[in-house]
Amino acid sequence: MATNNAPHGNINIAPRAIATIAYQAAVESYGVVGLASKNVFDGLSNFIVKDPTHGIEVHYESESILIDLYVVVEYGTNIKTVADSVASTVRFHVEKALGLPIKEVNVHVQGLRVSTTE
Amino acid sequence: MDTETPPARLRITVLQQYPVNGKAVGKLAEAAYAWLEANKQTVNALNVFPVPDGDTGTNMVLTMKSAVEEMRKVPETKAGEMLAALAQGALMGARGNSGVILSQLWRGFARSVDGKESLNSQDMAQAFVAARDTAYKGVVRPVEGTILTVAKDMAAAAEGAANEGTDPIRLLRRVWQAAKESVQRTPELLPILKQAGVVDSGGKGLSLLMEGMLRWVEGHQLHTAETIAQPIAAMNLEAATESVEEGQDYEVVVDFRPHQELDLPSFYSDLEKMGTSIQVGEGQDIYRMHIHVPADKRNDPLDYIETIGTWTNVKMENLISQMEEIKSKTRGQPLKLAAVKPGEIAVVAVASGSGIARHFGELGAAAVVEGGQTMNPSTADLLAAFENLPTDKIIILPNNKNILMAANSAAELTAKKAIVIPSTSIPEGFAAMLRHNPKGELDAVVKEMKDSIAEVQTGEITTATRDVEIDAVKVKVGQTIGLHNDELVIAAEDVEKACLKLLKQMKAEDYEAITLFYGEDLHSEQATAIADSIRKAYPKKEVDVHEGGQPFYQFILSVE
Repeated sequence: MATNNAPHGNINIAPRAIATIAYQAAVESYGVVGLASKNVFDGLSNFIVKDPTHGIEVHYESESILIDLYVVVEYGTNIKTVADSVASTVRFHVEKALGLPIKEVNVHVQGLRVSTTE
Repeated sequence: MDTETPPARLRITVLQQYPVNGKAVGKLAEAAYAWLEANKQTVNALNVFPVPDGDTGTNMVLTMKSAVEEMRKVPETKAGEMLAALAQGALMGARGNSGVILSQLWRGFARSVDGKESLNSQDMAQAFVAARDTAYKGVVRPVEGTILTVAKDMAAAAEGAANEGTDPIRLLRRVWQAAKESVQRTPELLPILKQAGVVDSGGKGLSLLMEGMLRWVEGHQLHTAETIAQPIAAMNLEAATESVEEGQDYEVVVDFRPHQELDLPSFYSDLEKMGTSIQVGEGQDIYRMHIHVPADKRNDPLDYIETIGTWTNVKMENLISQMEEIKSKTRGQPLKLAAVKPGEIAVVAVASGSGIARHFGELGAAAVVEGGQTMNPSTADLLAAFENLPTDKIIILPNNKNILMAANSAAELTAKKAIVIPSTSIPEGFAAMLRHNPKGELDAVVKEMKDSIAEVQTGEITTATRDVEIDAVKVKVGQTIGLHNDELVIAAEDVEKACLKLLKQMKAEDYEAITLFYGEDLHSEQATAIADSIRKAYPKKEVDVHEGGQPFYQFILSVE
């Protein structure tokens, strides 16, 4: 999916590839301290295999791309602002790499991490 | 602030001998905020992308504003309490990435000195270390060459100073020195900065906060930007005209050659006695100064320049008559909004520019909230716009990606049934507006409006604020650039060429209608002339041109 009509044929980009870009962008985004699974079952399987797309879901809806991020945010930060910024960081990096527009980036804050003072 | 504080010399002595108490913390924080505010544009200009976008300087200032306002509510007795309030305010008001990091820095700093009445050097060093640690905890993979790196270097300097037993003021100076040097090194650590030829904006903001504190300690003014002459080409004299203060009626610009090397700080302070909006530019062997002065002092700057050098060129303008002209242009055309009856659907649109706001009103918007690319309205602004409307069915058109979030929160917070149409540009907003039916069924109307967004292509023409190369488009500062659906696609020498190039890029020949909204920087004659050459290039298309009045963008255009 997500094809570009190239002169010699089609280019297919798998959702996983996009998810990998999104993952890299998300972990560099300030306030995001981890990516979380959408449900417990996924969490267990990820416990065993370290997945570079963990916590990221990419869907295609006809010609458009939608990304869902499941994140853990640092306790004590402004959650709305952090979510806003991770969404725009992911959108920027994915759009830059693909050259295709992303329709939606949805951020799901799955939990907060409380860091100890010391 | 300077008038009510003790003379600088005394202030330094007092601060050096005693720990920093609540009162001093208050003054330091106020000074940091004031100085960042004064230098906001310097920080904004460091944005890596060539469009005014999510400005770091503005975000950090707004974060500090909220922080300082919270701090003012607590009594000035305990340093720890003051800082806790400051951190709380920063958290609540955090805007943008840099704002969140700044709030984390304050949070770590404040927690480290919790309960302390005053701070000695050891306390301060520990607090800077805690600030660093807290900030670094907030991200999985810290990016170096950013504000985080600057905070790290500041903490190291603070620790070093405290170990040598320096007083709190010398410690602050060492920290500031470290911050300044660290900012200069950021392009070495982060390639995108080097590519754009800038230092990190968040780091610069942090360093300015420290500088503000020291300026207060040393008794320097905090309200006029850094006394560094900028290149003449970079002087932003148009922006200066926007902020005409009462009594400062004349704009005087003088090009001159000083007899001796110009001592900038004393030059600035001499100018400050005469007027406001001071800017100094430096070119080859020549300086340019800009100032706003009262009518009776309009000759003073020239007399003054003659005492220190030879002037080569003078430009003087009466700002009052200019302002009258601007006012008369916008006057007499009030914003007409649709009256909503109970049970009908009301549309709230976000718009920047008087013409665009009026257009939304004409198309049937019940409320228009001022806002756009650089001025994002808050959730509260949006709520205020529709909470009092006599209906509970609300549709919000954010018309900008940066406002989507605030619009969504407003929709969640209200008891009314509010739905956000995710329009990310003004043309998308208009397209949606055309499908609006106040008497329709909410879900059906929302669907119609959402669908219409996809049918319109958005183009924007603006001026690049710096040199940059993105996706093979090379842009030089001052060039006109074109964005297609928010992406930089073309650069050109003038607005007309940019419009034609952009329309070609947008495949305008495949569509039926081209609509142009010209911004506040263009005259209607200029806009009409450009529209005419577009008509020549696309003789079969319907070309419409309207006054938009939007800032930054010479044109917002749509093809559909």
